[in-house]
Amino acid sequence: MGRKRIIDYLMALVIVISLNFFLPRLLPGDPLLSIYGEDALITMTPEAKVELTRRMGLDKPLWEQFFNYLSGIVKGDLGYSYYFQGPVLDLLLGALPWTLLLTGLALIISTLIGFILGVESGWRKGRLADQGLLTGFMFLNGFPDLVIGLFLLLLFGVVLGLFPLGGAMTPYSQLTGVSLLLDVLHHLFLPLSALVLTEIASCYLLTRTTVVTLLEEPFILTARAKGIKPKNIRYRHVGRNSLLPIVTRTGVRLGRLFTGALFIETIFAYPGMGLLIYRAILGRDFPLIQGVFFLVAVVILLINFFVELIYPRIDPRVKNNAY
Amino acid sequence: MLEIKDLTITYGRNTVIKELNLTVPKGDVLAVIGESGAGKTTLALSLMGLCPGNVEGQIIYQGVDFLSLPEPQRRLLRWNKVSMVFQDLNRSFNPVMTVLEQIMEPMLEHELLSRKEAQKKAYYLLNKVGLAPVKGQMYPHQLSGGEKQRALIAMALTNDPEVLILDEPTAALDGLTKAKICELLKEVFSEKTVVLVTHDLSTAYQLANRVAVLYQGRIMELGLTKDILKNPRHPYTRGLVRSFPTLDATKDLQGIPGFGIEKQEGCVFANRCTQRIADCTKIIPKLEKRGEREIACLRGGVVNLLKVEDLTKVYSGVTALKGVSLDIEEGETVAVVGESGSGKTTLALCLMGLEKANQGSIYFQGEKIVKWNKEFYQKVQMIFQNPQDCISHRLNVLETVCEPLVIQKLGTPEERIHKAKKALRDVELPDEDEFLNRYAHHLSGGELQRLAIARALVLEPKLLIADEPTSALDASIQAKIMRLIMDLQEKRGLSILFITHDLALARKVSDRVFVLKDGQVVERGLSTQIFSLPQHPYTRKLLQATANFSDF
Amino acid sequence: MHINYVRGFKENRLGRLGIIFLALILSIAFLAPVLTAYSPRQVSENIFQPPSQKHWLGTNDLGQDIWSRVIFGARTSFITALSVGILTVTLAVFIGCSAALLRGIYERFVLRLIDIFLIIPNILLLLLTAAYLRPGPVTMVIVLSIFNWPGCARIIRAQTLTLQEKSHIKAAKTFGAGTFYILVKHIIPDLGPILASSFIAHARRAVFMEAGLAFLGISDPLLISWGTIINRALQYSYLNNWYWLLPPALGLSLTVMAFSFLGYTLEEILNPRLKVGKNAGD
Repeated sequence: MGRKRIIDYLMALVIVISLNFFLPRLLPGDPLLSIYGEDALITMTPEAKVELTRRMGLDKPLWEQFFNYLSGIVKGDLGYSYYFQGPVLDLLLGALPWTLLLTGLALIISTLIGFILGVESGWRKGRLADQGLLTGFMFLNGFPDLVIGLFLLLLFGVVLGLFPLGGAMTPYSQLTGVSLLLDVLHHLFLPLSALVLTEIASCYLLTRTTVVTLLEEPFILTARAKGIKPKNIRYRHVGRNSLLPIVTRTGVRLGRLFTGALFIETIFAYPGMGLLIYRAILGRDFPLIQGVFFLVAVVILLINFFVELIYPRIDPRVKNNAY
Repeated sequence: MLEIKDLTITYGRNTVIKELNLTVPKGDVLAVIGESGAGKTTLALSLMGLCPGNVEGQIIYQGVDFLSLPEPQRRLLRWNKVSMVFQDLNRSFNPVMTVLEQIMEPMLEHELLSRKEAQKKAYYLLNKVGLAPVKGQMYPHQLSGGEKQRALIAMALTNDPEVLILDEPTAALDGLTKAKICELLKEVFSEKTVVLVTHDLSTAYQLANRVAVLYQGRIMELGLTKDILKNPRHPYTRGLVRSFPTLDATKDLQGIPGFGIEKQEGCVFANRCTQRIADCTKIIPKLEKRGEREIACLRGGVVNLLKVEDLTKVYSGVTALKGVSLDIEEGETVAVVGESGSGKTTLALCLMGLEKANQGSIYFQGEKIVKWNKEFYQKVQMIFQNPQDCISHRLNVLETVCEPLVIQKLGTPEERIHKAKKALRDVELPDEDEFLNRYAHHLSGGELQRLAIARALVLEPKLLIADEPTSALDASIQAKIMRLIMDLQEKRGLSILFITHDLALARKVSDRVFVLKDGQVVERGLSTQIFSLPQHPYTRKLLQATANFSDF
Repeated sequence: MHINYVRGFKENRLGRLGIIFLALILSIAFLAPVLTAYSPRQVSENIFQPPSQKHWLGTNDLGQDIWSRVIFGARTSFITALSVGILTVTLAVFIGCSAALLRGIYERFVLRLIDIFLIIPNILLLLLTAAYLRPGPVTMVIVLSIFNWPGCARIIRAQTLTLQEKSHIKAAKTFGAGTFYILVKHIIPDLGPILASSFIAHARRAVFMEAGLAFLGISDPLLISWGTIINRALQYSYLNNWYWLLPPALGLSLTVMAFSFLGYTLEEILNPRLKVGKNAGD
């Protein structure tokens, strides 16, 4: 990865920070209103507002405010949530693990299943199994994450009552060890399934398209001529190449997974970043919204950066290119 | 040993290979040549059992019919018994695996060697094809075209197959690299049974000892490489050779008229063949032995059009021709060269029946000519040396061109005008009324000679005897007229007996040459040979006196 | 390459289904006022009514007729999809083509901007700006388009560069054609397939993004949107109100599906390798 790309990432970071800082301050009206939200201000006395403005440094020049904001970020100070009555950073760190667990597992499971089904289906292009899978996943792909979450909740949670309707674990149960793990998994099952189901379709479709296109490549013919076992052609030759677009699109997929998590956590009241941002929006808690935006953006930037860093290892052709 | 029996390959309704039979004995290198679309790659792939079409017939390696085996068993034979060097060298490697991994893969996959041994053998093979070991650790895109070709060859050799199939191994390479790869292939081919598919005749010539000419999925001609490429006997092979540029060819490039039609009755080449007869579109010719080679042609290959035996002509005690024998094939240009007074014009006149020979016989299309009748003149026409003389000043252009038709009583007046106009267009003269009404003295020398040619062609003859047709013209006009005649030959399969004293010109237009001295043929042979290695002192003398710009 | 779209869609099962779905939603959206006797905003005292002859899908917590809210929701969804599709593609064509044609520092700037924007997940940008702006329908369309153009613009720029290398465009230049003429007469028509598939992809995205933002309560709360209906219904899900939850969810799915099917069919038409019929694998 070249210097140019690293600068791209730094620029992206600067844009994220700048948006966070400037957007509320440049909007017409009282910046205090934009930063703290209407509901927070209603209950405040005028003296408290003046005090807050002073403390926030909103009466100082913009550049000085920006500098203070930056040093705040470096120190880990992302502001104070009026709605939840606590430092934003603490709230974020409390929610982040759950979202990482949910999206991380969803990413791994959907990639694995979607990829294998995609390879097997593309290999059998035009046959019954392929057409069945393709049609099935096309339909699945037509259901937005929101709707899939709803269906699962209604069917397995409400109607069948097999899984809890919300939360990440049974409150006040004081479980430990294996039973705690099982409890967590029990709560995780429905939101995770919903997220996997939405992501699996796009992963499958992308893999299948790549595989079908790759099958016409001469090197596949070479492999067949060499007497390579079909299974090895499918995975060593076709699979390895069709993994590339899936890896390249990790960034896009993470964005999509996060979006999905946003809706699904909201539906299942799963205590991750998605639910946090939903509540923040509901409560017009702007410091928290900004905090979530900042943290999620940084996490996705980091993962993207990492993927680009290791990408040349799986696609040797990239080494000689610009990056 | 590889045997192909009754191989037929179809894609849907399209038949790509038709009832093909071939035997490649052990150690033989057989080149399959033909235009693109002839079915070469399909044939190559079918030998690997990888042809996606519907394959019928047998492909037998050492007594085992490869095609009848179930796929898992075919897989075991691939690369062990028969391996292939693929055509598209840029895309035949997996882009994300190193070259070495891919070379080792077949040895490991067939569990022939341990990983360590396989690696050792891979490096040995890389060395054998002239690649440094470091190239093995590279990825395909890091290699040059020639290096990729070498790596592909190394990969084909891993499992020591007896049969090697190569699909256009030199197509994507520049001349120098091609030469090096050919050298390498010659070494690699020893002890192997090889099928080499290529459209590059020079590669075939260098590498193969036998050649099969494929057209529309059928073999047209099969035999020893040197025979076939130097002296093609099937009209299609001759077209291929004529359109292939080589350094030693003297005649200009000529193509093959028309293009292949997939569905037709009879001979697949019939629609492009200039010597076809009615049966050609009805009966499918079989590949039959003709001397050393096999030809699939109802007419037995390129036919003999005119044959002259032992022709002698004496004018009042002076012998103008003394026992002259020559022959002309369909679609061929034969030059008769010699200084003035060597008997060239006399020969032309005797052939046309304008002079009666004292001795000897003339055969046209196998029949001995006793009487020069209208039928004969329909098929044989002559262009004279001086166009001013040979066109009557009393006839206008239209009447001049129509005259042969009037004489032969062919067609209605309207049809004659139509034919005349077409003949004029063929020689690139205008066919407007204004021009049709002109008389000879209004025309330039070049226009007059074109008019003479148009008049000769209006009968659509098979043989054109041209006696110094351009000697009265400027070099630039001569060039145009000669190009015109050559084009007509390509389109119609016209045979030309070209009589000239200009050896430089003869070299550019003729397939074969007869050198005439004092009424006798002193040397005869292929133009390529006569002009580069003349045997007779007289020919050498003539050549020395020929126009050239060289300083030595 | 000549592409017969009509035949392609006719021959493809998913393509036919996509067109049928789209036509269905479209006619519901178009005929909405005819299909119901109630105004979607009309509040009444009959709250939480189950489905009946009078109210096909019952009423909500404000006594509004759910059926009329659902079919008017189709309008919002559809208009958003079309506008976002058109605006995004227009922006992308404008920026992508101008970058490819003008080259130089401008192109470098645009490319960097695109690269940077593609790193930041645009859903986040969307959330942040939407949270501040509380967008109405027009702002929503603009915001959605502004964050969606970069990917599309990158493809269009690359394709424009490829097209410029084609002989027929070089030929047009030798006839003295100006940049604008080449853009309008040659490049944009040749971009057709890419524009069509981008349009479909972005329209599809817009449908669920609009519903999603409405669901999260970010967009204008007065807007009648499937997302808002689902959000509201979910709050009363203890009433076992499937008749309230499912119809907007189905409408949403049907619309997204229609665009998905059309998009895939288009891909299949443009990439003949995907077509069924040729042998693949073993």
